[in-house]
Amino acid sequence: MKKTILTTLLIIVLASCQSDDQYENLNRDPKNPTQVAAEFTYNSAVKSLFDQMTSTNVNRNIFRLLGQHWTETTYTDEANYDFTERNIPENHWSELYRDVLLDLKTTKETVASDLELTDSEKSARIAQAEVLMIYTWQQLVDTFGNIPYTEALNEGILLPIYDDDTVIYSDLIDRINAVIPNISGDGFSTADKIYEGNAAAWSKFANSLKLRLGIRLTDVNPTLAQSTISTAVTAGVFTSNADNALLIYEGSTPNTNPVWVDLVQSNRSDFIAANTLVDVMNTLNDPRRTVYFDQNLGAGIYSGGPYGANNSFSNYTHIGEVMHLATTPGVLLDYAEVSFYLVEAAERSIVGTPANAEMHYNKAITASFDSWGVAGITGYLSNNNVAYTTAAGDWKQKSGTQMWLAMYNRGFEAWTAWRKYDAPALNLAAVSELPVPTRYTYPVNEQNLNQVNYDAASSVIGGDNQTTKLFWDVN
Amino acid sequence: MILTLFMALIVQLSFAQQKTISGTVSDENGLPLIGATIVIAGTSSGTTTDFDGNYKINASLGDLLNFSYVGYSDQNITVGVSNTIDTTLKPDNSLDEVVVTALGIKRDKRALGYATQKVDGESVSKIKSSNFVNSLSGKVAGLDIKSSGTLGGSTNVVIRGSSSIAGNNQALFVVDGIPIDNGNSNTKDQKTGIGGYDYGNAASDINPDDIKSINVLKGAAASALYGSRASNGVIMITTKKGVKRKGLGVTINSSTTFGTVDKETLPVYQKKYGAGYGPYYQDVIGIDINDDPIYWEDQPNSNPSIDNYFTNADLNGDGNYTNLFTPFTEDASYGAAFDPNLLVNQWNSIYPQLAGYQQATPWSAGANNPNYVWKTASTAINSVSIDGGTEKSTYRLGFTNMLQEGGLPNSSIKRNTLSFSGSHDLTEKLTASATTTYTKTNGQGRYGTGYDSNNVMQQFRQWWQINVDVREQQQAYLATGENITWNTKSATNLNPIYSDNPYWTFYENYETDQRNRYFGNVALDYEINDWLSVLGRFTYDTYSGLQEERTNVGSSNVSKYSRYNNNVAEYNYDLIFSFNKDLTEKLDLNGNIGTNLRRNDNSNILASTNGGLNIAGLYSLSNTFTPIEAPVEYEAVQMIDGIYARVGLGYNDFAFVEGTYRVDRNSSLPKSDNTYDYWSVAGSLIFSKLLETDLLSFGKVRANYGIVSNGTVPYNVFNTYGIGTPFGNTAVASNQNSLNNLELKPEEQKNWEIGLEMQFLKRRIGFDITYYDALNIDQITAVPVSNSTGYETVLLNAGTISNKGLEIQFNCTPLKTENFKWEANLNWAKNTSLVESLADGIDNLELGSFQGGVSINAAPGQPYGTIRGTDHVYHANGQPIVNQTGSSSRIGTYVVTEKNNEVIGDINPDWTAGLSNSFTYKNFNLNFLIDMQKGGDVFSLDTWYGYGTGLYNFSAGNNELGNPIRNVVTGTPGNYGVDSGGVILSGVAPDGTTNQVRANTNTYANPWGWARAANKQHVYDAGFIKLREASLTYNFDSKILDKVPFTDASLSIIGRNLWIIDKSVPYADPEAGLSSGNVQGYQSGSYPSMREIGANFKLQF
Repeated sequence: MKKTILTTLLIIVLASCQSDDQYENLNRDPKNPTQVAAEFTYNSAVKSLFDQMTSTNVNRNIFRLLGQHWTETTYTDEANYDFTERNIPENHWSELYRDVLLDLKTTKETVASDLELTDSEKSARIAQAEVLMIYTWQQLVDTFGNIPYTEALNEGILLPIYDDDTVIYSDLIDRINAVIPNISGDGFSTADKIYEGNAAAWSKFANSLKLRLGIRLTDVNPTLAQSTISTAVTAGVFTSNADNALLIYEGSTPNTNPVWVDLVQSNRSDFIAANTLVDVMNTLNDPRRTVYFDQNLGAGIYSGGPYGANNSFSNYTHIGEVMHLATTPGVLLDYAEVSFYLVEAAERSIVGTPANAEMHYNKAITASFDSWGVAGITGYLSNNNVAYTTAAGDWKQKSGTQMWLAMYNRGFEAWTAWRKYDAPALNLAAVSELPVPTRYTYPVNEQNLNQVNYDAASSVIGGDNQTTKLFWDVN
Repeated sequence: MILTLFMALIVQLSFAQQKTISGTVSDENGLPLIGATIVIAGTSSGTTTDFDGNYKINASLGDLLNFSYVGYSDQNITVGVSNTIDTTLKPDNSLDEVVVTALGIKRDKRALGYATQKVDGESVSKIKSSNFVNSLSGKVAGLDIKSSGTLGGSTNVVIRGSSSIAGNNQALFVVDGIPIDNGNSNTKDQKTGIGGYDYGNAASDINPDDIKSINVLKGAAASALYGSRASNGVIMITTKKGVKRKGLGVTINSSTTFGTVDKETLPVYQKKYGAGYGPYYQDVIGIDINDDPIYWEDQPNSNPSIDNYFTNADLNGDGNYTNLFTPFTEDASYGAAFDPNLLVNQWNSIYPQLAGYQQATPWSAGANNPNYVWKTASTAINSVSIDGGTEKSTYRLGFTNMLQEGGLPNSSIKRNTLSFSGSHDLTEKLTASATTTYTKTNGQGRYGTGYDSNNVMQQFRQWWQINVDVREQQQAYLATGENITWNTKSATNLNPIYSDNPYWTFYENYETDQRNRYFGNVALDYEINDWLSVLGRFTYDTYSGLQEERTNVGSSNVSKYSRYNNNVAEYNYDLIFSFNKDLTEKLDLNGNIGTNLRRNDNSNILASTNGGLNIAGLYSLSNTFTPIEAPVEYEAVQMIDGIYARVGLGYNDFAFVEGTYRVDRNSSLPKSDNTYDYWSVAGSLIFSKLLETDLLSFGKVRANYGIVSNGTVPYNVFNTYGIGTPFGNTAVASNQNSLNNLELKPEEQKNWEIGLEMQFLKRRIGFDITYYDALNIDQITAVPVSNSTGYETVLLNAGTISNKGLEIQFNCTPLKTENFKWEANLNWAKNTSLVESLADGIDNLELGSFQGGVSINAAPGQPYGTIRGTDHVYHANGQPIVNQTGSSSRIGTYVVTEKNNEVIGDINPDWTAGLSNSFTYKNFNLNFLIDMQKGGDVFSLDTWYGYGTGLYNFSAGNNELGNPIRNVVTGTPGNYGVDSGGVILSGVAPDGTTNQVRANTNTYANPWGWARAANKQHVYDAGFIKLREASLTYNFDSKILDKVPFTDASLSIIGRNLWIIDKSVPYADPEAGLSSGNVQGYQSGSYPSMREIGANFKLQF
């Protein structure tokens, strides 16, 4: 009996002793892959980028408030520029680094090591990812100023230093110059939800992005701005709304336009049109009001909520129907924006002469009307307060105000147009009485997790404050 | 003893005509007591029990047999007609105890070189809590119990402080050698206050009526044999077993308690002001020639003092906007002062379904405030058990039914437990035993938690209109079955905007859950010879659960149905050799050599509808508005195999020393580093042996040092991608947010401990004091890193955390006479935690970040669990600085730091204590337990928002001028109007002089709420003194029982959470939290504590 038991138990023990490999295999997740095709991460990064730039979620993206196109109703913290209550800068930063840049970096690496691709296929696919990376880096610099760049996205560096924003801009221009020749017909095609692999369109997008990089520098580095802008335009930028970098959203979550989630699905009434925007458009009698806004106060009546104040939802103009559609596209860059840049390029005689400015101005506004499907462009352009020759102020004011009006679906660019051209005049936030921030403060967790580099960067840029100006924002 | 035996043999020979009595002597668990002494009283005649606890003795009718055994109370039984006398000896707590240590090894407590603390089953079964874990509160020094406060919610169980930075800190539960999973299946959103249900911790499945005793193993040396998983301490539970006896033993236990809400833990609402955030509601009545809006409030007929607080309509078309409407969207109470003469169209006037449609009603506070929703809760626990045994077998069969009705409507928990244990001697040397327990738990309507509209306390504590009568809301729901909310989008758009009708939430948006659990063991025990035995044992603990959550069409949240199925299983295969040999007369060698194979299987799947439901009230995945996303799946198996040994040496019951060694192989670590070993040594000296005096009854010093190593959980080594829902018909995959690590090493806890135990005056008074120092190094931690790395966290062996502490148990019997006995016990513990280091360059590790902008953190040089957020700005003199200028809502408020990473609190208590007193007079016993916590901080999101929305009584009082503080501030600093409202905050001007500037307190942007306050203002001392338990028991007299067929009967009046004697957290229970887990110190929509009073009746026959 004794022997039987001991033998039995010994067998149990021995039978369950397994090889190291068997132990290790238990550590391999059967539900999540260790390798995926480059198309998967590419598609994910593209969607994350559009989602983040389009969203109006108060935890992630409040650029529509910073641009004072919209304001809030009952809960007004964000409209009053409280960044910390919801860690908004942290969420923006994380989305772009973690869900866009890292996945694009992985995409490049996967493509580069794919033995089944030709060299030309590799370079074309890497080029698409690179253009989007450059786009994203610029967003980050334009939001924060100095950011981790050379040491970012590196598993081995947990405390990345912040690079100087001016230096990053130069590097981005070098990178876009380097990548443009690699754009060819062998890129991602079915996985490319922006241009479906159309190399010509990608080339225009890359050059338009390059134009934007150059335009930002006109006040601080005219030489570099000049060469960047002129070569971009020569190579070919957007020439119509057909060139716009769009993403068509789908009808069901999580693939809907994120704005639909916040305005419709959430069942909330958080946002109304801000008086800042409505007042300007009322003054101009702007026909785009019919699309931008709802006529809930009566036909032709538009009244924006005082920016930042506690506003009763029912008393003010609501957001227009187009923003309430799940499938409304997200936009990264469009023809109107490019045309406004060409106004500046002309005024500064970088491309063409000031005489060409009006043409670009009219094209820009027309592009905006067309993209929203709004009629009445001719009348609008002949309005004394709109017409390039008669509207008040210098070219910066005219073009800046109109660009700000055109960027209705692009809160970030509306805010940036104001920072760049200092027009129109925006309001103080009603409750906090704070002026419009000129940058996001750094994420709170950078103070906790990367303190030394954070402190250095804060002091270099002149303080980690909302009103610290970016290097290109010298006026 | 040998002498006694010798004498007995002689006596036995000389009285031959007596009859032979035989029987078995067993312990409280039904296990045979070997070597128990039986002596005929008044003689020297006696015997001892054999290896199976059997004895034979010759005695005459009427002889009194005295049964005795070291560590157990003596028992006297008179010889009657029967020739068989079986008996069970009960452990004598006042003498040396036999305690169950790691792996179920029974040890004489005197021989232990480490601290353990025993709790008998009675103290968790008499005053029952539906989660027995709660009953341990205050009863064990160093055991921190924190219940989240919701119906069936989880309880955090931490021994000697948090030892793991980011891992599991929950104590291990072991029932009869069966490790019991104590996880909770709460989501991360639930644990961090975003929302969800608290499904409770799995150890609550342990049935208190089945518990015989509980022994808590606190340090590494005590638990080292359990291996890595026991590094957080072990709660060893021994269940009741059958006894070898004649006939059948039946125990019936019935307990019913009724719970009423403790008003001290609910808001006290103001009664003077109604809906609104302030005078902000202007009505556009037209448009002027410049396209600018025309506001009614600017018209000559308008009365701004009223009109700005309401929305107006001109219902009769006379051009005057005199029909007032509540600002329905505004979930705050900084609106118009109540005035019964003012008629307002309130929520009950805008629903055509209601009788009051289109009728304006007086503007006054709701007759029933939200505290109305609380009804009497009840818990009924009924159990019956039968046990018995024969010469060779014992068995026990138990059944318990628990039915708990929560204090909120439509909430209940039902639990049935069926348990069986049995043992049988197959041969003289081979014993087979098995236990099995089946538990079925059904929950319905567990309370929503966190910042979510399914948590009604969110609206009741944070966002509410005082003008709303909750009873009327109830009637409106019950009459219509619709979501008739007070919080609509407007007077004409009746969709809910933020808050639902609370009764809609109770009856329509509820969860249901069930859990089927089986645990038990099967064991063979073989006595190889008189000093060596071997045990083979298989233990299992498996459960499957289903959690279904619903949100009906018509709610403010998107309608939804989700189901979460999980399967959890653990299997252990043990083979343990035990030896115990007297090397010499004085030297005893004992020990174990064993092996343990452990398998953990986990799988779960979460599926939910997408975009809403098509058909209201149909909860099915197919009833999805848009195609559902792929369910989230998880599947993992973990293997941990160990070999271990323990060797102990005892000298003359005076000096003891033992050592343990264990090697583990753990599949969760990289294969290059998956095997690790650790050890412990412990020693003790019973110095009272040397200086035995009447004064000193017992004295012992002990010391130990132990190391425990630990692995991690599966899938922390290889990096994977997360696959998302395909977009544009192309797959989507993204890098995970956490970077794994191919080079993980085991983490290690090093722990030393010294203790002194002394008893005086025949144990009338004594103490047991322990000091420990635990250092946890190489902690496997998901270290948060700058997200510019592309990751949120990186898994590293990083971080050292230490816990040092002092535990004192003090016992005293101040009075003891024949009929009266007063016993008092005090448990006191202080733990000091310190995060010594994190990964290089990492200054802080965020354990959780929360709504309100606060976070719970671990930072080097600070305790584990600091609260960070915004603070006041202080003058050099230490006083907070008050804004001397600024807008009307800024002036007079505190200056707040720009950054929200200031350390503003520490969640760790300074010390905890439990004081129990027991008074016994004849058959009556009165027992009460006072539970205390000193210090420890908690942040309240409830007051953070609720003080801003003006719900609480203090916000509607008068200032020192005798004016309502909600009046506008008039005049200027130094020259305020006699009618001025507002308050002067205590603090200083920037120059350090006392602040004399008034702050406006007439809108939500007041100095107390989120708009102007520092987070620091909402950090409270979580300390408390509570009368936790009290009971009055009558044990029926044996003289009465002799006349009825019962052997034992008692009736108790019991109470739990009777009185919060002292606390600092306003309007809430300082213990209320989100969930069990590492994130503590944060309250959001917290639930009140329930005062439970009832009776317990116990009958044995």
